[in-house]
Amino acid sequence: MVIHPVLLIAIPLITAFIIPIFKKYGAAIAGGAIAFNMGYAIGIFFHVYSNGKIYETIAGFNPPIGIFLAIDSLSALLALIINLFAFINFVAIGKEANYKFSMLYLLAIAGSTGIVITGDIFNMFVFFEITAVASYALIAGKKDKKALEGAIKYMVLGSIASSFILIGIALIYSQLKTLNIYDIAARIASMDAKIKWASFAMLLTGIGVEAEIFPLNGWVPSAYQGASEGVASLLSFAPSKAAIYAIARLMLVIFPFHATYEIALWVGVITLLIGELAAFMQEDVKRMLAYSSIGQMGMILIAFSLASQDLKYALIASLFLIVSHAASKSSLFLLSKSEKMHGMASKYTGIVSVLSLIGMPPLAGFWGKWYLMLAAMDEKLWLVIILIFFAGIVETAYFARYLHRSIGNDGELSLRYKAAMAAMASFAILFGLLPLVYKIASLPLWGG
Amino acid sequence: MNFAALTLPCYITVAALLSIGLYGVISKSNLMKIFISLSIMETGVNLLLITIGYIPGGTAPIENANFAKYVDPLPQALVLTAIVIGLSVTALAIAVLISYYQKNGTLEYKEGMKW
Amino acid sequence: MRRYAGIAVALLFFAFSISIFIQLIPYDSYEGSAYHYKNPINGSVANESVPSHYIKETRNETGAVNAVTAIVVEYRGFDTLGEVTVLFTAATGVSFLLYQLHKKMQRREANLITKEGSKIVLPFALLTGAYIFIHGHLTPGGGFPGGSVIASGFLLMLLAYPKFFVNEKRLSYIESISGSIFVIIGLLGLLLATSFLQNFIPVGKPGYLFSAGIIPLIYIAIGFKVGSELSSIVQKLKEVEE
Repeated sequence: MVIHPVLLIAIPLITAFIIPIFKKYGAAIAGGAIAFNMGYAIGIFFHVYSNGKIYETIAGFNPPIGIFLAIDSLSALLALIINLFAFINFVAIGKEANYKFSMLYLLAIAGSTGIVITGDIFNMFVFFEITAVASYALIAGKKDKKALEGAIKYMVLGSIASSFILIGIALIYSQLKTLNIYDIAARIASMDAKIKWASFAMLLTGIGVEAEIFPLNGWVPSAYQGASEGVASLLSFAPSKAAIYAIARLMLVIFPFHATYEIALWVGVITLLIGELAAFMQEDVKRMLAYSSIGQMGMILIAFSLASQDLKYALIASLFLIVSHAASKSSLFLLSKSEKMHGMASKYTGIVSVLSLIGMPPLAGFWGKWYLMLAAMDEKLWLVIILIFFAGIVETAYFARYLHRSIGNDGELSLRYKAAMAAMASFAILFGLLPLVYKIASLPLWGG
Repeated sequence: MNFAALTLPCYITVAALLSIGLYGVISKSNLMKIFISLSIMETGVNLLLITIGYIPGGTAPIENANFAKYVDPLPQALVLTAIVIGLSVTALAIAVLISYYQKNGTLEYKEGMKW
Repeated sequence: MRRYAGIAVALLFFAFSISIFIQLIPYDSYEGSAYHYKNPINGSVANESVPSHYIKETRNETGAVNAVTAIVVEYRGFDTLGEVTVLFTAATGVSFLLYQLHKKMQRREANLITKEGSKIVLPFALLTGAYIFIHGHLTPGGGFPGGSVIASGFLLMLLAYPKFFVNEKRLSYIESISGSIFVIIGLLGLLLATSFLQNFIPVGKPGYLFSAGIIPLIYIAIGFKVGSELSSIVQKLKEVEE
């Protein structure tokens, strides 16, 4: 059977285009499209899991004359996470959404999915912009002062970021005259060194704004605090994960050099430390969760930078960390809607998510940190191991304080909301137990 | 005419536009001026993309019996896309600024909003 | 204080960019062997570069004589779909944020020249815009400039007459339907040919109006979409005036 991954993008787009005609059924139509996307993403994931990497050319022209979509195990896992959590999240918040919100939600999901499945760097930039513009509108949608402030900060930094990405693409194109990621990777050695590093710096800075790495994450606390809970949850699993995937492709495929690894490693470490320490000092729950997200992104960046050196455990670590953070942080943001945890579902969600983030076996977060430590030991990076350990202690401290303050009897959430939260948190358990991630990490990737 | 020398003034203009845009974003406190500076930066980037595709002596890449060389058509297609994307972000920014003005009565950003 | 930081950063960035751009020497051509591309699917190295393929093969493969148009619609049509989506997202975002405001009237009346001039300019603007996007495959231009010209005709009328409003619902329907036509053409390519957005109409004789396969159809859809979208954004912003 021939699989067409382009439907993962085409179906949400055409659904978003026709929703304004059927205003009253907007949320239902959007829900149907997201359900289709979830099913299709699961199907593609299992297809890639058993058969290896797949590709699809768009418009019938071979790359790099045309654009092509290249899905390997890393892309399939990320597409699965984005679409699966999109559906669960939409179940929680779709009831009170008007049709414009549903349209923006669909477009944000389509954009994030596009970033992870495309094989062309300018196409990746276009999908970045779709995701970014949809996120700006969604954050500002709450329309109170904090939401607008968060949206404005995000927009200013995001626009500078998109200009930098374009400069990076322009510099690469001027030397190699191609826009296909894997063609660039094959010929990158023939590029002039100064232009090569300048374009790497531009691309890293540009994509890094969305991926929340230091020092480009000034927008993160205000944006997450201002957004409504469902939107903050969406931001946790869609744009930031897609952006960190883009940085991973950048480091593993296009610029697989030693200096890249060093820069990314130390940027990741600084991000981790600043994120966790700042989270410790926060009073407001959403700000604390936002800074914690910054810290986790730093850890994922460390994992990917170690993976660029072909270390056995690093890629496994990064996949576990991505899954754990997406599941836990998104459910914690949904949980933050109520002041305290009332009832079984909330307590279950809170405890499971916190444990996964801290790193308690057998949850996914534990495996992530465990393999990260193993990979760092392989490279004899003792300082990095000590710092990760220290960050873990700080994390445990503030999450313990959070749990201590929140367990109580207050706040009432609807049934579908509770079901969605619990389902998301369960994925942290699920991925920790199943051997899926090990097989994924061992499959061959595009670009070698 | 030395066509090759045409690209140097273009690159200097690009660097100037980018720098002016960056200066505006960092030092201005009126939100409208910040977004105008962002537009200036985007214009600079578009100019960079077009200049990269230039071939001295070439003409526009539409079939023309009088010319043998054509400039690179791909950057021009990229710039078409980039202009529209820049425009969309500016339009959304203006909508957000209008809402901000109605909540706060001013377009300056307050000290509490520092990065 | 921030001013000095801004000047310092700007100067540093200027020096950095100039030092990079100096190295981008202009080329005599893009035919050199350094630019020959490598197909990532089967690993074969071609004997031409990507731009020279576009210049040489546009007439045969797509039937358009305008290489930029062929790239925007055929070779990289997916990027154009993404760009149309960004514009659509921005228009949705604008109406999402500003939907609660009242239609207040503008205080100052425009003067006579503006009022009478707009009435004369509007039909010409619409006609020119339509001409630009219908002939996208033959002359420079295409859907986006054409749509912008149409929207600027409407903008003139919106500025000159305080009570002039285009019907919101109609604009919204045109937007949705033309966007869907774009994706439907793509899906038809998937069904009737082998890939999304592939050309499934006979290419015809280059240089004629009815040629170049799906390019005129997509450009007409884009022209309508961009024109209605920009008009609705501008009109939404006008509604906020006090």
